Amino acid sequence: MRKIYAFESKCLGCGLCEIYCRTAHSRSKDIVKTHKRESITSAIVVEEILSSSTISYFALQCRHCENPKCIKACISGAMYKDDNGVVRNNKEKCVGCLSCVLVCPFGAIKKNDDGKTVSKCDLCVDSGEPFCIKNCPNAAIKFLSEDEARVLK
Amino acid sequence: MKRYLIIGNSAAGVNAAATIRANDKTCSIKIISSETFNSYGRPLISYYLNGKIKPENIYYRDENFYKSSNIEVLLNTKVEKIDTIKKEIIVDLGEKIGYDKLLIATGSNPFIPPIKNLNFNRQKNVFTFLTYNDSIKLKEKITKNSKVVIAGAGLIGLKAAEGLFGQVASITVIDLADRVMASVLDKSEADIIQAHIEQRFISFKLQTSICEVQGGSNVSGVSLSNGETLKCDILIIAVGVRPNIALAKEAGIKTLKGIVVDEYMQTSIKDIYAAGDCVEFSDLLSDESKVFALWSNASSQGEVAGLNMTKIKTKAPKALAMNSISFFGLQLISAGIISNSKSGNNFICSVKNKLRKLNIFNDNLIGFVLINDNQRAGIYTSLISDKTKLSTLSYDITSRDIGFNVYSKDERTRKIWDYKGGY
Ligand SMILES: Cc1cc2nc3c(=O)[nH]c(=O)nc-3n(C[C@H](O)[C@H](O)[C@H](O)COP(=O)(O)OP(=O)(O)OC[C@H]3O[C@@H](n4cnc5c(N)ncnc54)[C@H](O)[C@@H]3O)c2cc1C
Repeated sequence: MRKIYAFESKCLGCGLCEIYCRTAHSRSKDIVKTHKRESITSAIVVEEILSSSTISYFALQCRHCENPKCIKACISGAMYKDDNGVVRNNKEKCVGCLSCVLVCPFGAIKKNDDGKTVSKCDLCVDSGEPFCIKNCPNAAIKFLSEDEARVLK
Repeated sequence: MKRYLIIGNSAAGVNAAATIRANDKTCSIKIISSETFNSYGRPLISYYLNGKIKPENIYYRDENFYKSSNIEVLLNTKVEKIDTIKKEIIVDLGEKIGYDKLLIATGSNPFIPPIKNLNFNRQKNVFTFLTYNDSIKLKEKITKNSKVVIAGAGLIGLKAAEGLFGQVASITVIDLADRVMASVLDKSEADIIQAHIEQRFISFKLQTSICEVQGGSNVSGVSLSNGETLKCDILIIAVGVRPNIALAKEAGIKTLKGIVVDEYMQTSIKDIYAAGDCVEFSDLLSDESKVFALWSNASSQGEVAGLNMTKIKTKAPKALAMNSISFFGLQLISAGIISNSKSGNNFICSVKNKLRKLNIFNDNLIGFVLINDNQRAGIYTSLISDKTKLSTLSYDITSRDIGFNVYSKDERTRKIWDYKGGY
């Protein structure tokens, strides 16, 4: 299964991945309409690494764990693993209790702005290749199989 | 063909069944449930009560799950006896069902305290709040004029109050403790939660108990330890739950507070396993054997039991007390040891309705409470469960909001590349 891997030295911290993540999960799929009319929480966290001389960044999202703690914590049955191993959240069933947020060791699940559900990376499985990958200007996130990722670790 | 039998169709039972099926495609799996409904999210019964979820969304797994995994479920069926010698169970209709491996996942029972003139089974307007059926019956019974008294200001009592809000005339919550959620929170955090709930005109009588209930087959009021009498037409008993161990105990399986299991979730009798609210298990932080009434704990233990039942030897990790719950939009997330009275240095950062409390002991995070400050709580949880030495981290966790950047670059890479999850 392919997952998204962050390459810290390349990340500019521009936040385009977040913008495209929101767009990917919008109704309109239009970048302007998404940000003007829809309230969508991106499923990516862009973090700063502060050192005495520099600031660098990395983008983080759900690791689609083999044995996900979030699924076991989910009280409604909304969190599930699909047949391809992608950990997904069924928004129809999610009650936004944040039990998954409590156990995700990456802090990669966010409370949705609407307060009713959570937002997490679904690898854009419904729309092809992940939008964040396609739109990262510096290839700081890559969509790789485990074997490919190991080589680049 | 191996025969797997599971008593209880909830977090522990369902996850055990799914795990067994994943590892043994040909065995027979049968789940027996005393409930009328197929498995549902037990914590969702308050969401049903206030209409926040549609009834069809309360179900934990859809019908297709059972069908496609070829798991047979007998609903409305109570197991009366386990015969550990003949390896069979007897259900309330007298039928005997044999097994090769058995899982007891019988969960919790509500605790009904001895109160003068209280007769839970006879009084028609006295409820517990543990099952979907409890919630349905309660919803049918309430009217706009109902005066509701809830005994117990723990998680279940408060969730019942939230579920009823707006549908009844008054709600009064009574508890012996000096604060709400006393088993989970200290006074300072509890006061924030209480004040938030009180804004909805739900009233509390703390350090107070019910001495006597009034009325006959319908309760008409309660007399309190402070001399007061409250009229009520609905009384909800939510003073706590107890592991449902009667069946196991009677079968000669070792029990203390809960069913005693080893780290493979096997009971004192071979081929009989137990998981979830009905067991007691070693606590990660104190090493004491405790009962954890927690959904995530029950589903994890169910999975681990399922693995061991299918001969995939797997140890269940020690359990960590934790909670994520909201009341009228106020979000509370906590884990580990959070009490001021226990060892540790508390760091508290609190503004208005927001609070972040970290309990640090010996260079380890041993507990935290977050109120309305929820993002990334899981990173704190892992610092507790991994017993990470805080001095190895990139910054002082009391100095700023937590992020994955708290780990060193090597550790970040290792986790992002190699982390597989766990139980
Ligand atoms: C209102 C409410 C809110 C909650 N909120 C949360 C929350 O936010 N987070 C959280 O982590 N936990 C919460 N909990 C606790 C959580 O629901 C339990 O920890 C969890 O359900 C335990 O699962 P289990 O599988 O061990 O047992 P249970 O869910 O208790 O299920 C046991 C099943 O076994 C059946 N059974 C028992 N004896 C027999 C028998 N002899 N024959 C046949 N069937 C039998 C019972 O009918 C029951 O269906 C809440 C509980 C309640 C009531």
